[in-house]
Amino acid sequence: MSKIIEVSDLKKSFGPLEAVKKIDFYVEEGSLFAFLGPNGAGKSTTIDMISTQLKPDGGRIIINGYELGQEDDHIRSSIGIVFQDSLLDPLLTVEENLRTRGSFYGMSRAELDAAITSASVTANVTEFLKRPYGKLSGGQRRRADIARALIHTPKILFLDEPTTGLDPQTRKSVWEMVLKLQREQGMTVFLTTHYMEEAAQADYITIIDHGEVLAHGTPLELKTRYTSDVLKIKPKHDEELVALLEEQVGTSGYERDTAGIYCIPLEKTLDALPLLDLSRDNIDNVEIINGTLDDVFIRLTGTEVRNG
Amino acid sequence: MIAIAQRNLRIFFRDRAAVLFSLLAVFIILGLYVIFLADNIVAGLPEIPGVDFLINSWILAGILAVTSVTSTMGAFGIMVEDRSRKILKDFTTSPLQKAKLTGGYILSACSVGIIMSIVALLLGEGYLLLFDGELLPWASLLEVLGLIVLAVLASSSIVFFITTFMRSSNAFSAASTVIGTLIGFLTGIYVPVGSLPDTVQWVIKLFPISHAGVLIRSVMLERPMEVSFAGAPAEALEQFEQNMGVVYQLGDYTVQSWLSITILIGTTLLFFGLSMLNLSRKSK
Repeated sequence: MSKIIEVSDLKKSFGPLEAVKKIDFYVEEGSLFAFLGPNGAGKSTTIDMISTQLKPDGGRIIINGYELGQEDDHIRSSIGIVFQDSLLDPLLTVEENLRTRGSFYGMSRAELDAAITSASVTANVTEFLKRPYGKLSGGQRRRADIARALIHTPKILFLDEPTTGLDPQTRKSVWEMVLKLQREQGMTVFLTTHYMEEAAQADYITIIDHGEVLAHGTPLELKTRYTSDVLKIKPKHDEELVALLEEQVGTSGYERDTAGIYCIPLEKTLDALPLLDLSRDNIDNVEIINGTLDDVFIRLTGTEVRNG
Repeated sequence: MIAIAQRNLRIFFRDRAAVLFSLLAVFIILGLYVIFLADNIVAGLPEIPGVDFLINSWILAGILAVTSVTSTMGAFGIMVEDRSRKILKDFTTSPLQKAKLTGGYILSACSVGIIMSIVALLLGEGYLLLFDGELLPWASLLEVLGLIVLAVLASSSIVFFITTFMRSSNAFSAASTVIGTLIGFLTGIYVPVGSLPDTVQWVIKLFPISHAGVLIRSVMLERPMEVSFAGAPAEALEQFEQNMGVVYQLGDYTVQSWLSITILIGTTLLFFGLSMLNLSRKSK
């Protein structure tokens, strides 16, 4: 597969604040790419630069073969963006919104008509095409936003937290639409999200913080590299288990939490078996927790996913 | 550009409150005039026939000059709103040339200005007819329309220049309130310009939009003055014209129509030029 987005050595400062210090990554054509980072990590700044809204201080960005800063209009024609906030006109109907926005891409009237029909079918907005955007529900608006982003059948679809603020059902249907676009239409999807279960479905993840790339890889690679499974045992008798653990894993190999549960990080899931065998009679309750992307994120950025 | 202008027009005319408010200035001035000012002005004039027709035409001409400013202001509000609500992001990430976007805003503001001025003109003509007046003859009507276009161009250039400094809707609505209040005075439409102190007269005569007022008055008062000053001495007419701002006197020089038109066109070019400078300074 070829690289459809290539970012190298990207830099951007706002006065003394280095929002982006040095960011390199690439996105393969047709993939679902998740770009993660806590708020203030430099995510939005990076996206603003990729989407031609902000001029980088240094570095190079190539999108769909076009160089940023020289062929910006070609780049703009290659990308569709679903912004975090709703940016369509509330007083206009969905169709009028699509028609106005579609006219930016130099289509003929017939092409535009066809584009509106196809975008509305894909984003499932046909039933409220004639209603004012301002009167739609949150989920309907989001779908209209997606239809707008698809109006010129872009090669790359940017989604900036597309499911934030939606109810669980709507979130699911919007998410399924995104997956469908990528899988069935081969569109490259560039996603930022706060939901790790969404990021987990990406083909590739890049995590940034403080304007630098912290880690990248497939979800599986990241989990293997940055998390471990944890064995949790609630014993019948503390002393017995402590003695066993001291002998088997040493003092630094386990932790007792306030609920009286012993947590033992494992190299491999199978390492749990000998420990369980040895403490079989002393176990009140036991579970093995697999590492998650949340753990990866917290481990790397030292924070919970900062919301808001 | 057309698509953007079309969008703006749709948004403007679909916001009924905005449309009403942009006509509100017309109604307020008319109200002030009917309730307070008309009697004063009439009292200051010698006993002449057809005085209602004369004075009503006079105030209508002033209203048209003011409407060119207040209505374009409403339309440029969309531009400020786009910026503050970040809708602009959607435009700047599309392959849409900046000049076309700006052109679209200007085109829609001018269209709104012209449409609303024509609405005010029609309402005003209706009012004239109601109070013993006559409708404008066709030739004069065309002249007035031409002057409306000129007035709207000059006003929109000034309003656009002010808009380029506005970042938030609040700042913009504050500015529109101030402008809306001042504009009636600056164009000298509330009281006869001749009854004001000399310095104030100069301020008014140097304010470009007031020249739109002069031009429109000179066309709209042509017929009423014929009626009212038939058989009166020429000095009486001349005095009326100067006092009411139908012609401007700058020192010994009587301002000719061509100069007023030049002032309006010059203002248009100057302020659109300044706006472009201001915009390109900001986009860096």
